[in-house]
Amino acid sequence: MRETTAVDRLVREGRFQRALSLVAGLSSILAGVEVAWEHYKGSYSHRVMYTPVLLSGALAGAGVATAIRPRAARAGLRAVSLLTIIDGLIGFGFHIRGVQRKPAGWRLPVTNIIMGPPVTAPLLFAVSAYLGLIASFLRPEESPGSPLAGVRIPPLSRAFGVVPEVRAGRFQKHLAVATILSTFFSAFEALYSHYKNRFRYKVQWTPILLAPLLMGSAAAAIPFRWAARTVLPFTSLLAILNGTIGFFYHLKGVVERAGGVKLKLYNLMYGPPVFAPLLYSASGFIGLLASLMRREHE
Amino acid sequence: MQKISPAIRRFAPGEEVDYLIVGVGSAGGVLLQRLARAGFRVIGLEAGPFWDTEKDWYSDEIGAQRLYWQDLRITGGTDPLALGANNSGKGVGGGSVHWAAFTPRLHPSDFRVHSLDGVAVDWPMRYEDLKPYYELLELEMPVSGPAWFPWGDPHGYAYGPHPLGEVGNVLVRGCTRLGIRVCAGGPVAINAGSHDDRPHCIYRGFCIQGCKVGAKASTLITHVPDALRSGAEIRDYSMASRIALGPNNRVDGVFYFDRDGREQFQKARAVIVCGYAIETPRLLLNSACPEYPMGLANSSDTVGRYLMAQAGNVILGRFPGLVRMYKAPPAHALTEEFYETDPKRDFARGFAIQTVGPLPIAFGKQIMAAMGAWGWGLRRVMMDYNHWCALALLGEILPWHSNRVTLAKERDQFGIPVAYAHFNLYDNDKKMIKFGREKVMEVMSAAGAEQVVQEQRYAHLVGAARMGSDPATSVVDKFGRTHDIANLFICDGSVMPTQGSANPGLTIQALAARTADYLITQGENVFRSDHRDLTEPTPRVELSPPGTFRKGIPRPGTGWIFRRRALQAKA
Repeated sequence: MRETTAVDRLVREGRFQRALSLVAGLSSILAGVEVAWEHYKGSYSHRVMYTPVLLSGALAGAGVATAIRPRAARAGLRAVSLLTIIDGLIGFGFHIRGVQRKPAGWRLPVTNIIMGPPVTAPLLFAVSAYLGLIASFLRPEESPGSPLAGVRIPPLSRAFGVVPEVRAGRFQKHLAVATILSTFFSAFEALYSHYKNRFRYKVQWTPILLAPLLMGSAAAAIPFRWAARTVLPFTSLLAILNGTIGFFYHLKGVVERAGGVKLKLYNLMYGPPVFAPLLYSASGFIGLLASLMRREHE
Repeated sequence: MQKISPAIRRFAPGEEVDYLIVGVGSAGGVLLQRLARAGFRVIGLEAGPFWDTEKDWYSDEIGAQRLYWQDLRITGGTDPLALGANNSGKGVGGGSVHWAAFTPRLHPSDFRVHSLDGVAVDWPMRYEDLKPYYELLELEMPVSGPAWFPWGDPHGYAYGPHPLGEVGNVLVRGCTRLGIRVCAGGPVAINAGSHDDRPHCIYRGFCIQGCKVGAKASTLITHVPDALRSGAEIRDYSMASRIALGPNNRVDGVFYFDRDGREQFQKARAVIVCGYAIETPRLLLNSACPEYPMGLANSSDTVGRYLMAQAGNVILGRFPGLVRMYKAPPAHALTEEFYETDPKRDFARGFAIQTVGPLPIAFGKQIMAAMGAWGWGLRRVMMDYNHWCALALLGEILPWHSNRVTLAKERDQFGIPVAYAHFNLYDNDKKMIKFGREKVMEVMSAAGAEQVVQEQRYAHLVGAARMGSDPATSVVDKFGRTHDIANLFICDGSVMPTQGSANPGLTIQALAARTADYLITQGENVFRSDHRDLTEPTPRVELSPPGTFRKGIPRPGTGWIFRRRALQAKA
């Protein structure tokens, strides 16, 4: 009980840099593997398609490095995270262009979103980088005294008062917004992917139906502190659970394809995206994190 | 979308060029592009049209008949070949315009069939000599395929595989249930993703009717545009009738009939014949002259002999569920598990099993042959088209001395004697076909087919002007140079001494790229001297069409992990 309280205090005070950077690194590996497959399917026909693959490796490395040596947070993790977020935004633009370049473009939106590059996938990729960015601003677990002891804060961040708040663990609303966005991107992907499969299994509806609940509770957490404490952790846990179950369903989907495990490489590539549900869980994880945080300006 | 500039006249009538290429098909297109890029003055003569892919090709099975060489030809023997559809093309791009674009490589054992299995003949070159060109052409087409292809010389493909259609699923399901390794999603020279100005496959199913989309590779859209940009000229509707032998035992040009039917002569310092397995020997035989009364470059009496076709039996199975064969590229999954000679079997060499996706008319013909169905019975099966699945056997028929192309008494519309193709199956071939056919039927049944029938047929012609080290038993050397005449080359499928169980398209283009490198390395010597330097050329990657080399994922096969897996596979 005492341990839980200590962990809770560390999180609330913004001292869980090691754990968060590891989570960012791990989720980056999942996203990286997913993007490497997807871009191989797209034949790496544009050189820019290599960048998320390379960056996911770099982000994973930076996350692990930060966990081992907190000094790496500022130099490595922050830069790589920022680059990855920018890459995600650029990728989003390219994916929109990809849909537009399909026959009939946006005049045939449903077909072309389904058949073209996954529109919001690059933004989902940026979510793990966002966690890395947050981790880079946190205090290391062992850092003593005042939240701002010995820290040089970039003038722009200081002006907006972002960094001191983050370092003190006061970024609940901020994370609530991130939860809404991440859930939206993830649920959008689930919606059209499962639609492509004609919602053959009823369970395919669950991430779609859960998404408004999670997004709603995260939205409620912005004005109401009680919502952040009561509803948000509940819906977030549901999302994590849903993603985990989905992961096993997707694995099952791969195994049940013609050739099954004997045709691993191919079936992993063309079966249901194995790690996609875990990215949905990541949205729940961000929501859970938000519920544990202190609120801005309190 | 890709825009291909039409061929324009570049050389004046009567002007002598460096290389005159007869036939702008799979090999001719690659040769034309590379020689032009290297700065040679080069002309390609093509009997058919220069296709306008937008206007001339349409999604129609009957309309696609124009892509085949449908001129008069005579066939005979105990097992006569059907010529035309499926094995020869007319028009720029040749057969590559209507191939299914399956692009497996030959196995290393294919080059040493006589040494290993005591049948047929060895190639005068090794697999390793051709391997760099396989890798190059796989990028230039480019080939979409799996990350790991386990047979022969194991390798991976730089571009992602295609999703499977239900025919692929049937093959994969059947093979997996029988414990047979299978490969999914290629190798096939159809874009899975867009590349530069060429769009990706949209899976509309008309691959072998001339891919109007431009996703399927043919030399018309991969190499010819760059050849034209590099200064080559293509003369369409130009039917070569005779190669002229000049003084000093050297050829000095080709007589041909132009689009108006008038006979013309084009001077050249060297001639390369790329007419494929029927038209190449026909042209050489028709070019007989006092010095070579049996046909040009035929002092060994080998021109026309050792004609080969692959066994291409189609096995059709009916499934309770929908298959819809048209909903995928015909070529997208295969197994080469039975490719090599197995001492447990009573025949040498082997076969591959591949997906095919016949459209309704082709399917109707196959059902007529396989079931003897006609009238109302045929109509009932045709109405059931969406439940049928077709897999093909691709088996190696060995080169036999008596299987040959000669000249018939009949003449074509230009008055040129037409080819007569004599073809017999021998004991080894019959045993292989029987075993292979039964194996494919077994796979089909294991996949859940409720009714299985088969049609015997052939695919892919090669041989008839084979390469070899001995001038007494072969027509050309390992670079396609005729033993008899130093400035006459042959470069197409006809030079292959054996054919393996792999579709020959990639090998033909790889051989053409290698011959081009050889010619470029030899420079002016080809035109001035009869000396033969048989040193292997260095592959020139800089001659690839722009934007093709160094694209795709980093080449597997170069990394240590792939090398280790290759060694394990060999062990």
